[in-house]
Amino acid sequence: MANFLASQFMHNIFSGLAQGVLYSLIALSLVIIWQSTHVLNFAQGAMAMFATYLGMTEIDRGVGYWWCVIISVIAGVIFGGLAERVLIRPLYGKPEINPIVVMIGFLGVIEAVATAIWTSTTRNITSPFSQIYFHANGQVILLSPFVIFQIILAIVIMLLVAALFRFTKLGLQLRASALAPEVARLLGVRVNRMLTIGWMLSAGVGAVAAVIIASGTFGLFPTNMDGIFVAGFIAAAVGGLESPIGAIAGGLLIGLAEQFILSYWSATLAPLGGLLILVVALMIRPQGIFTKAVGRRV
Amino acid sequence: MNQLRSLRSQETTLARFVCVVLLTLLVLFVTFFLPPVADSQLAGGAAITIVILGLSWLIGWSGQISLGNSGFMAVGAYAAGIWAHHHNATPLIFTFVLAMVMGAFSGLIIAIPSTRLRGPYLAGMTLAFSAAITPLAQNFTSVTGGEGGLFFNELTTPSWFQHLFSGQNATINANAQWTADLAVVVAGVMFFFMANLFHSRTGRAMRLVRDNDVAAELMGINLPLTRTLAFVIAAAFAGLGGALYAVINATVTPSTFPLTLSITLLTLMVLGGIGTLSGAVIGGIIYSFSANLVSHINALTGVNPASNLGANMQGIIFGTLLILTMLFAPTGIAGLRRPIRRLTKFRRRLATTENVK
Repeated sequence: MANFLASQFMHNIFSGLAQGVLYSLIALSLVIIWQSTHVLNFAQGAMAMFATYLGMTEIDRGVGYWWCVIISVIAGVIFGGLAERVLIRPLYGKPEINPIVVMIGFLGVIEAVATAIWTSTTRNITSPFSQIYFHANGQVILLSPFVIFQIILAIVIMLLVAALFRFTKLGLQLRASALAPEVARLLGVRVNRMLTIGWMLSAGVGAVAAVIIASGTFGLFPTNMDGIFVAGFIAAAVGGLESPIGAIAGGLLIGLAEQFILSYWSATLAPLGGLLILVVALMIRPQGIFTKAVGRRV
Repeated sequence: MNQLRSLRSQETTLARFVCVVLLTLLVLFVTFFLPPVADSQLAGGAAITIVILGLSWLIGWSGQISLGNSGFMAVGAYAAGIWAHHHNATPLIFTFVLAMVMGAFSGLIIAIPSTRLRGPYLAGMTLAFSAAITPLAQNFTSVTGGEGGLFFNELTTPSWFQHLFSGQNATINANAQWTADLAVVVAGVMFFFMANLFHSRTGRAMRLVRDNDVAAELMGINLPLTRTLAFVIAAAFAGLGGALYAVINATVTPSTFPLTLSITLLTLMVLGGIGTLSGAVIGGIIYSFSANLVSHINALTGVNPASNLGANMQGIIFGTLLILTMLFAPTGIAGLRRPIRRLTKFRRRLATTENVK
């Protein structure tokens, strides 16, 4: 058993899953926004990065790790709500390129401001979990307490989001205003408020992902979410942008694919894995694997 | 002026040609008086103008969002670089044509899965493409030279041009100016092509596809073919722009065309005006002199340019401008013409009514 767990194959599975859950979280946050407002938020990663900086720099002032995490997530939530209110709300009903361009501009502003405040040097954050890999019979298993924490936290967040949408009144209102805004409004749902809450929720999920990434070996720097955003977006697109399950599955798939390419082919080509999966998936089903095909009404 | 106007209504292509030639000559004339630094900035701006022309055509006229144009630029630049690496003495024009063809080819490859997609899917697909180009260039080191990249021969200024130009530091100034003039002429030629393309049958078909694809299909327009063509043409322009950019800088490395370049291109296009020819030129000019603009703003606001904030001023200003433009003036600078024209017309009418009184 120990031999099997320490094999190259299992190494790849563990690393791929650990990376994949992070992609899944970002993909999930993109899907939440897409479902509520039909906007693809290109600044999702950068917003989460900025929130992480806001919280995690409190460590320098002697604040405990977990308080910093909470501050980061709250900052992310506020950030998400503000972005929807100020930047996205004036653009409903405009061509779909407009919100995309605005969020790309926002991405540029956030990254420039973050570099101006905190410089581009990587900041390492010590988490309460060890990053040292487990050993079994003298062989290394590519799992550390931190990686296990990372996977479990991601799963917990996904379950919480699922439960919120499935079992609470707020979740029902969110789903209603995404599915049929006019009907929901007639039935007394404050649709505009729901849209803002959708963005806040999504930014919160994104902030959790960014906190995990910053606490790991990757570290925190102003552009640290760029590559992860691209992978997360690919995951969401492969899943179909409408489906949370699809986003999570897509994230895991991309994580594993990148890890196997890295292991068996070339480290620099790992980002290509996502592109290949995206091309193949979109050639087969342009509207994503996990969504029903919707006919366009003429 | 009146003759030009009547020419414009009868012989549109000829009128366009005359206008482009006059404009190009004007810019060439200006390069004689610019310092060498400004000349080389102008050369970069001309290369970027070509790319923005293609992007404006793709986004503004065919309605397909692309964040992959920095990838197409890289393909063109590497095609030119690899060719120049093995065949030193090829005339520049051949290198440029090769870069266009390779750019168009990469556009075709991306277009085949992409033209079935819309909006955000398309944006993400092209984003993934331009994100994948850098690792490709880093990986195949034997062909691309890896991190160090490839080098071009310095552009040699022809002797007649040096004779024409008399300055104190003749060679350096003449080189910078020759590069700028070359780039401006190439940009002028491409501007002429794009101007014709905008008003051609294909251009009109493209706009109809953008506005109402069902109606377009009923008119007998082949939708996938038209969308693919838009991508191929935009990619050819980007390939040429990338090659020109690389030739001007005499080098191409994986970091020449980062992901952020696609975002910069989009910003410049939106600032200039989506889907307008003049917008692309305005975007190119903004690109040329953005560094001067930023240092001017730094000086005005008293920010130390060597400080962290000063170094990131460009990103902050451009991002903010992009957001404000999209929120309050989505047609960009070129689109400001219409309100201004309306205002002058209103003033004129006001003046005539006062005269009547």
